[in-house]
Amino acid sequence: MGDYTDNDYAMALGKEVAIADVDKELRLLWEEDKASTNASLINLAVYSEHKGAIIKNSEHVQIITREHACRALLIGVDRDNPEASIRAWITAQCHLAHGRKSICCEQVAFQLTGKSTGRLRNTVFSHLNSDLPLVFWWQGELSSLFSERLYSLIDRFIFDSSEWSNPIDAYSCLSEAMKSEQSLLPMDIEWTRSSQVRMAIAGLFDDPMAVNALEHVSELNIVVHPEHRMAGLQLLAWVIQRTGWKRCCELSLDSDHGDVYYYETSEGSALVAKIVADPLSAPVGAMEFIAPGLELRVTRDAGSAYICQELHAGAHHIERRTPSNSDDSAELVMNQLSRGGNNSLYCAVMPEFLALLGGE
Amino acid sequence: MKNPFRKDLESRSRPEACTVVIFGATGDLTHRKLIPALYNLQVEGALPAGVKIIGFARREKSDAEFRLGLEQVNKKVSRSGHDESIWADYAENIHYHQSEFQDAGGYARLADRLDEIDRERGGSGHRLFYIASAPEYFDDILANIKEAGINHNKKGFWSRVIVEKPFGTNLPTAKHLNKVVSKTFSERDTYRIDHYLGKETAQNIMVLRFANAIFEPLWNNRCIEQIQITCSENLGMEGGRGGYYDSSGAMRDMVQNHLLQLLSLVAMEPPTDLSADGVRDEKVKVLRSLRQWNTPELVSENVVRAQYVAGHVDGENVVGYRDEDRVDPESMTESYVALRVLVDTWRWSGVPFYVRMGKQLPKKATEISIHFKEPPTVLFNALSGGVPGGNVLVMRIQPDEGISLRMVSKIPGSSLRMEPVKMDFHYATSFGKGSPEAYERLLLDSMAGDATLFARRDEVEEAWKFIDHIHHAWHQSKESPVMSEYVAGTWGPKEADDLLGKNGHKWRRL
Repeated sequence: MGDYTDNDYAMALGKEVAIADVDKELRLLWEEDKASTNASLINLAVYSEHKGAIIKNSEHVQIITREHACRALLIGVDRDNPEASIRAWITAQCHLAHGRKSICCEQVAFQLTGKSTGRLRNTVFSHLNSDLPLVFWWQGELSSLFSERLYSLIDRFIFDSSEWSNPIDAYSCLSEAMKSEQSLLPMDIEWTRSSQVRMAIAGLFDDPMAVNALEHVSELNIVVHPEHRMAGLQLLAWVIQRTGWKRCCELSLDSDHGDVYYYETSEGSALVAKIVADPLSAPVGAMEFIAPGLELRVTRDAGSAYICQELHAGAHHIERRTPSNSDDSAELVMNQLSRGGNNSLYCAVMPEFLALLGGE
Repeated sequence: MKNPFRKDLESRSRPEACTVVIFGATGDLTHRKLIPALYNLQVEGALPAGVKIIGFARREKSDAEFRLGLEQVNKKVSRSGHDESIWADYAENIHYHQSEFQDAGGYARLADRLDEIDRERGGSGHRLFYIASAPEYFDDILANIKEAGINHNKKGFWSRVIVEKPFGTNLPTAKHLNKVVSKTFSERDTYRIDHYLGKETAQNIMVLRFANAIFEPLWNNRCIEQIQITCSENLGMEGGRGGYYDSSGAMRDMVQNHLLQLLSLVAMEPPTDLSADGVRDEKVKVLRSLRQWNTPELVSENVVRAQYVAGHVDGENVVGYRDEDRVDPESMTESYVALRVLVDTWRWSGVPFYVRMGKQLPKKATEISIHFKEPPTVLFNALSGGVPGGNVLVMRIQPDEGISLRMVSKIPGSSLRMEPVKMDFHYATSFGKGSPEAYERLLLDSMAGDATLFARRDEVEEAWKFIDHIHHAWHQSKESPVMSEYVAGTWGPKEADDLLGKNGHKWRRL
C-alpha cells in the first residue's frame, strides 16, 4: 500500500471492516449517530490506480458532498502488487446544511491489489444504492479494467483527458465504449475547465457589435498551460463547430508559437487560429478574437480568483470580472454534476475536436 | 446575426444585455432585492455583459452616493457575499438619474441618456423599465415613458416593463392600470412580477406534476379529497408596515396574487408546451373556473376573515392588530383570511381548495398539501382504529423547501397495527447549493423575454374579479359577514376550523 501506513488509511477512510460486513457496519454507523441525516442522490465511484490516491480521493469526496449528496465508493487499485487482497473502510462525510442540520453521506473505500482487481465489479458494485445513477470518476489513464463489464453499469463517466499520455488511443477506446453502451454519458473534466471561458465568450458575443464582427475575425488566439493542450483544442473545436468556419490550409506547427491553424469564415475572410502553450498560464489562460475595429478577450491569470472579460469596439468598451472556478479537480467535478443534462454540446463538438487531435 | 456560441450552452432562454431603468431607485425593494439580485447574477456569470443600470428617483444624489448606499446594503443582504473587485466592476455600470416622477423634463433627459448609452453600444440597445415605486406613481411613470418615446421597440431591439405588485387594488383599478400600461407597452412586453412564481418550489410544482408519471393519474376528484394552501407568518406589523397593510389586508396582499397563482399551478391542465402563453392559458382557465362567492351569504359560508388580538408569538407578548402602529383602531382590515374555493372544472368538481393566510400565527410557512381520499372501507378499516389518515402530499414552498408524502405503514409486531409515516425530500439536504433568489430568476427571464413566471393581464383581472366579490360583501353590503378574532400565536379563529369542519375536513397541522 505504498508509503502510507495503516494509520494514514484509518485517519482518511474511517473504520476498516471486513468486506462481508460493509452493509452491517454502515447500519451500525448510523445507529451511533441519531442526529444526522443520511442523504444520497447518486452513487459516486472514484477510481484510481495511483498509489495512495484513495486517501486524496476521500478529501475530494468531502468537497463534492458539500453540494451533491451521494453514496461514495472509493476504489484504489494496485495491479502490480503480487499479493491478492481486498480491504474496505467505511465512514460518513458530514456537512452542516445551511448551518443547521448535519447531512451525512456514506463513504465506502476499497483497496484491491494483485489478482483481486478482477473482482472489482462484483465486490464494489454490490454496494451501490439501488435506483440511483452511477457516476464513475476514472482518474488517470484508461486501463484494461475499463471494459464492457464495467462501463455497462455506468451512467455518467467522468475522466480528465489532460491526464492521458496518448489521448488519441484513449478517445478511441472511449468512443468504442460509447458506441457499445449508448447510455454512457462522457464528462471530460478538461472540458469543464474551459466552461467559464466559453460562457464568458458567449456572453461577450451577445453584444451586437461583437456578433456582427464575427465573420470578419482575422485572429483567434488561445493560451493554455502546456498540460492543458486538450482544453485549447476543445475550445478551438467549439468555435469551429459553432461558426462553421472551414479549414483552408494544412496544420502548421511552429515550436515558438504553438499550434497554428488557418480558416476561412463563411463570408470568405481568412483567419489564423493559434493555440499557445505557456508554462506561466492558468490551465486556460486566454481566448481572444481580433477583427477590424474589435478586440474581444477573456483572460485569467494563473492562480487568479477572477476571469476578466473585455470588449473594445470603438467607443464601446466592456470590462468586467467574474469569480473563476477553482482549478481543483473535485470542484470541477462538482460543477459538472451541478450542470447535469446530457452534455450535448460536448458530444456535438467531439468530432471536430477529434479531427484536430488527430491532425486531420 | 445570431450569437452562435449560445447554442446548447445553457438550458434556458438567453438573457440579452440591456439598460435597466429602475423607478423608485432609492426604495427598499431596489436596495434589498433588485440590486443584490443583479449583483448575484454577475457573480454567477449569468448577467449579460454590458448591462447598465439607471436608478430613477426624486432625491438629489450623485452616482457615487447612490452606489455607496447600494453597496452598504448589498454587503448585508447579498446571497453570495460581497466581493469588492466584482462590486467595483458592477457598480461602474450603475448610474443615478434624479427626477420627479411627474416631471416630463426628467424623462426627456432620461431618453437622452439612454440614447447616449445606445450610441456607445453602436447604435441601439434593449431597455428594461422596472417600476418599483409606490403604486400611486405608476400612471405618471408610464405616461411619461410614453411621452418621452422611450417605450418603442426599435428595429431588432426591445423595450419591456416590469410592474411590481400591487397590480391594482380591485378589478376597476387593475383594469385601469392595465389600460395605462397597454397604452405604453404591448402585453408581450409587460411583465407583472409575482416573486412567489420565481421560488424554486413554485417552479417545481409543474415538474412534480408533469415530469413524474405517478402523480398525474391521481390528480383529480376521483382520488383527491381536498387541497389546502397555507401561508402563515409569525410577524405582525413590524417596521411600519401597518400603514400599507391596513389599506390592503390579507386577501389583497397575498391571496389575490401569490396564493391564487399557486392554486392555478396546482389545478391547471397540462399545457400544450412550456411557452409563456401555453402555461398562462391553462392557469387563467383555472381562475375563470373559480366559483364566485358573489353574495354576502355565500361569502359568509365560504370565507372567514379575522384580526388577531393580543397574545404571544415565539415567547414574546404581541399587541392586537388594532393596537399596531399605523393601524386604524377601528380597522376592518383582515389580518387573517380562510377561504373555501371551488374550481368548477371536470377534473376538480367537488374538490374543495382551502386557502388560508394569516399574520401573527405560530410559525412562518407556506405550503400546499394534497389530501388523497381514504381507501375503500373493506380490509383494514374493519380493524379497531381503522386506517389512520389518508395519504397527503405536501409541497413546502418556504422555508425548508421540499416535498413529503404521508403513507400508512404497519407497526412492527405480531398484531396488525398501522401508523402514518412520512417520506420527506428536503432541497437543503439533497442539494447543498442554495437556490437563487426569486428576483434573480425573474430578472433574467425578463431580459430573455420569457414571461412564463409573470402574470398576464387576464390572470390578474380574473383573480381580482374573484376577490372583489368577497370584498364587496365585506365592505359594502348591508349585512356584511362578521370579522372574527384569534389570539396572536394561535392558528387562527375557530370559524376557520368550522369552515372545514362542516365538510368533515381539518386544517393540516404544520
